[in-house]
Amino acid sequence: MINMAAHNMNRNMTVLGLKFDYRLLIILPVALLIFSSYVLLNSYLTTGEWFVRGIELKGGTMLSIKTGQPTHAADIEKALSTDFGKLIVRELRGFGEYGASIEMDSSVDYKKVMDRLTGSGIKITDFSVENTGPSLSTLFWSQAQMAIILAFVLIWIITFIVFRTVLTSFTTMLSAISDLLMTMAFMQIFGIEFSLASLGALLMMLGYSVDTDIMLNSRLRKDSGEDVNQKVGGAVKTGLTMTFTSIGAVGAILLTPVPDVLIQIASVLFIGLFADIVNTWFFNSPMLRWYFETRGARNA
Amino acid sequence: MLKYWRLWLLLIVVLGSIMAIGFKERRHGVEIAYVIKDSPAYGQLRQGMVVSSVNGAPVENVDDWSKYTSSLNGLVRLNADGADYSFNVNQSQSLGIEVEALESTNLNFGMDLRGGTRIMLKPKENATRSTIEQIIGTLQTRTNIYGLKEMRFIPVESPDGWYVQIEATGVGSNVVDELLASKGAFEAKISKPVDLRDGRGRLQLGPNYYDVLVSNDTVTVNGNAIPQNNSFMLEGIQFERSNVTGTKALFMATVYRGSDIEIVYTDPQHSGLIPTGNFYRFYFTVLVSNEGAQRFAKVTSGIPSQLDLESGESYLKDTSIYLYLDNDLQSSLRIAASLGGQAYSTPQIEGGREKIEDASEEKIRLQTILRSGALPVSLETKSISIISPTLGSNFIQSAMLAALLAAGVVVAIVFIRYRSLKVAIPMVLTGFSEIIIIMGISAAGAFDAGIWAFVLALNVCLIAAVWWKLKESDMFASIGAILIPLLGLLSWNIDLPAIGGVIAAIGIGVDQMIIIADETISGRKETKKQLYSLKEKIGRAFSIIFASAAVTIAALIPLLFVTAGVFVRGFVITTIAGIMIGILITRPAYAKIVEMSVGKKGNAE
Repeated sequence: MINMAAHNMNRNMTVLGLKFDYRLLIILPVALLIFSSYVLLNSYLTTGEWFVRGIELKGGTMLSIKTGQPTHAADIEKALSTDFGKLIVRELRGFGEYGASIEMDSSVDYKKVMDRLTGSGIKITDFSVENTGPSLSTLFWSQAQMAIILAFVLIWIITFIVFRTVLTSFTTMLSAISDLLMTMAFMQIFGIEFSLASLGALLMMLGYSVDTDIMLNSRLRKDSGEDVNQKVGGAVKTGLTMTFTSIGAVGAILLTPVPDVLIQIASVLFIGLFADIVNTWFFNSPMLRWYFETRGARNA
Repeated sequence: MLKYWRLWLLLIVVLGSIMAIGFKERRHGVEIAYVIKDSPAYGQLRQGMVVSSVNGAPVENVDDWSKYTSSLNGLVRLNADGADYSFNVNQSQSLGIEVEALESTNLNFGMDLRGGTRIMLKPKENATRSTIEQIIGTLQTRTNIYGLKEMRFIPVESPDGWYVQIEATGVGSNVVDELLASKGAFEAKISKPVDLRDGRGRLQLGPNYYDVLVSNDTVTVNGNAIPQNNSFMLEGIQFERSNVTGTKALFMATVYRGSDIEIVYTDPQHSGLIPTGNFYRFYFTVLVSNEGAQRFAKVTSGIPSQLDLESGESYLKDTSIYLYLDNDLQSSLRIAASLGGQAYSTPQIEGGREKIEDASEEKIRLQTILRSGALPVSLETKSISIISPTLGSNFIQSAMLAALLAAGVVVAIVFIRYRSLKVAIPMVLTGFSEIIIIMGISAAGAFDAGIWAFVLALNVCLIAAVWWKLKESDMFASIGAILIPLLGLLSWNIDLPAIGGVIAAIGIGVDQMIIIADETISGRKETKKQLYSLKEKIGRAFSIIFASAAVTIAALIPLLFVTAGVFVRGFVITTIAGIMIGILITRPAYAKIVEMSVGKKGNAE
C-alpha cells in the first residue's frame, strides 16, 4: 500500500472510484484562473473597466432613499432625467420596506434631487448619501492598487521567512494571486462592487488564505512517521474544517439583512474562501507534495 | 490553581473588558444631540443634556420623544438635567431639538451605526501641514462654540495634498453645514450721514467732498446713480445706500473687515463684564490694522457732535458703528465725539445679557469667532456621506443578528466535526471572550484608565507569581499580560467596517483553535508511537498560528498608511487587535484547556 521507493512513487489517488495522478488536480485551478481572467478581460474590453468600482473608487453620488410605499425606478427616472443628467436608478427591497438607490454625477446636489422627488409625490421617509469627487476617487483608486501590491510584497517576505525556501513561498504567492483574481472575477459575476470595504476584506482574505498553506507546509515537514498521503489527508481535514467554519459564518451573515458594507465584506470573504479551497488543495497542495516527494527522493 | 494561570489571565482581561464596557452612570431619558439656531430652546438647552420628561410625560427613548414632540403648540415644559425649562412653540415652528438614545455602554458606535455625517474637505489652494492645523483649529473652536462634543477632525495626508476629514457622529448634515457655512466674516460698518438741502448734499471723506443728489427715488453720488441697497466704492471704501429722507441721506460704510483684526484682547484690562442695572454688559477690545483705522478716520470726518444729556458725554451725531458677524448684527455703538476724524484702531465690541453666564458665554463666543477668524483658505467638499440616525440603529440590530447567526453556524460545524462538547464549547467560549476583549479595548469611559491599570497590576502579579512559584514563563503570554491592558487605553469607533473586523478576527481565531485541536487531539490517533510530547505539539501549533497571524497583519498594514484607508480603518484596527488578543491571550488559554482535557484522557487510558 505505502510505496515510498524513490523511483516508484505512488502518485495516484482515488476519488469516486477514479484513479488518477494527483498532479492532474492542478487542471481545476488553472481552468478557473483562465476563466476568471477571461471574465475580467471581457469586462475591460466591453466597458473599459476591469470590474465595477464603488462610489469611493470611481467618484459620483449615491443617494439611497426609503419610501413608505412601493416606488418604481421608472417614475424616479422620469422625475429626475430632465435636469440631473445621467442617472442609474435601482429599486431596493427590504423587509416590509421600499426604497431606491440613485447613482449620479458627483457634481449633482443631492438636496435638489430630494426636493424634486418630494415635489413629484415620492415620500422620502429616510435617506443616506455617499458622495466622492473625481480627484479624491482617483487618489483612492491608485492607493487601493498600491495597497494590494504592498500587501503581496509583505506576504511574500513573511512566507519566505516562514518556509525558508523560494519555491514554497513562491507557490503560496501564486495561489494568493490566483485567489485575488478568482475573487475579483466572481465579484464581477455576482455584481459585487469593488469598494474600500471590499478592498479591506480582500487584503484580509489574502492573509487568511495563507493560513491553510502554512498549516499544510508544516504538516508535510513534520516527521510524524506518516507517509505523504496521510499527511496531506490530515491537512485536508484540518484545512477544510477551518475554511468551512469560516464559510458557514460568512454565509450566515449574507442571509441576514445587513447593510451594504457588511454584505461587501462578507461576500468577498465568502467567494475568496471558496477560491482558496481550490487554490490550496488543488494547486498548492499537489505542488508542495510533489516538491517534498522529489526532495525526499533526492535525499534518499 | 496557579498552574491554570493562562486561564486566570484570560479571566482577568475579560472581566476588565466587561467593566470597561459597562461601568457607567445610569440615567433615564434621551440625550440632546443638537439644538438648531431657530429653536426657542437655543441658548438654554445644549448638546449632551438629558431630557427626562416632556410636558410631565416621562421620556424613556427616542420613540417617546418623537411621540410627544410631533405636534406641539403653546407652552412646552421640559425637564433637562434635573431642571425645568419652558418654551413657547407655535404651530409653524418646530421645537428644533434633535435627540439620541442615551448610551448605556462605553462603546463608541461609529457614524454609520448611530447616524451622522462624514465629510472630506480639501483646501482650494495648496496647503501645508500648518495651514491644515490652522483650519482644524478654526473649525475646532467653532464646534466648541456650537457646543458639539462629538465632532472629530482628522488631517489626512495624500500625494495630492492635505485633506481634512470631519466625522460628526449623531448629528445631521444641517449641523455640519452650519458649521462650515459660518465663514467667520467680520465687518464693521459706520452709518455716514449726509445733510441734504433741496436734494443736494456733500459726502465728506477726510479732506475730499463728493456730491450727493437726491431727486424722487434716484440717488446720485459723485455723478453715478445708486439704486436702493446697491453698493459703490469711494477711495477704496465700500458704501451702501441706506435710508434717504428729505433732509438726510444715510450710507453704510464698511470700515473694518475680518482681515483687519490683528489682536482680539481677552486680558482683564481690555475685556470684561459689568453689571448694569438689571443686566450684564460685556465688552472687549480688538486691535485693527492701520488701513482699517484710516478708513475709520475718513468716514467719521466732518460728522458734527452732540451732547448726550443722560451720560454727559459727547457723541457723533446721527451715526453709529455696527459690528456684523456673517451678516448678523452683533453690536451697534455710538461713537465718542473725540474719535471723529481720528485714525481709531481699537474699537470695543460690547453687548449685554440678562444672566451673567449668558453674557460671559456670548463674549467668549464672539471672541473665539473673531480670533478663529475666517478660514485661512476656502475649503472644497470632496466627499460626503450621510446616514440618518434611524437607519443607523437598524444597522446595529441587523449586525447583531448576523453575528449571532454566524456564531450558531460555527458552533454547529465545530460540533459536527469533533463530536465532542469538550472541544466545541471551549472554542465558542474563547471566541466569545475575544469579542468582549476587542469591544472592551475599543471602549472609552470615565474609568477606563483606572480599570486597565488595575488589570495590568493583577496581570503583572500573576506573571510574577507563576515565575516565582512554578519557575515557568511564557514570553508571549507575558507580553500579552502587559500589552493588552495598555492597548485598553486606546479607543476607536465601532462602525460597520469594525464589525466586519470583529467577524474576521473571530473567523481567524476559530481557525487557529482548529489548528491547535487538530495538532494535539487528533494527533493522538496516530498509529505510530507518540513521537512528540503534548508540549511539542502545542509548540508546533503555535508556530503555525504565529506565522499565519503575521501574514494576515502584514496584508492589512498597507491600508493603515494610505489616505484611502481612513474609511476602513475600523476594519483594519479591529482585525489586527483581534489577532493580537488571540495569539497573546485567548489562544494560550485555549491550548491550556485542550492540554487539560487531553492530559486527563491520557491518564484514564
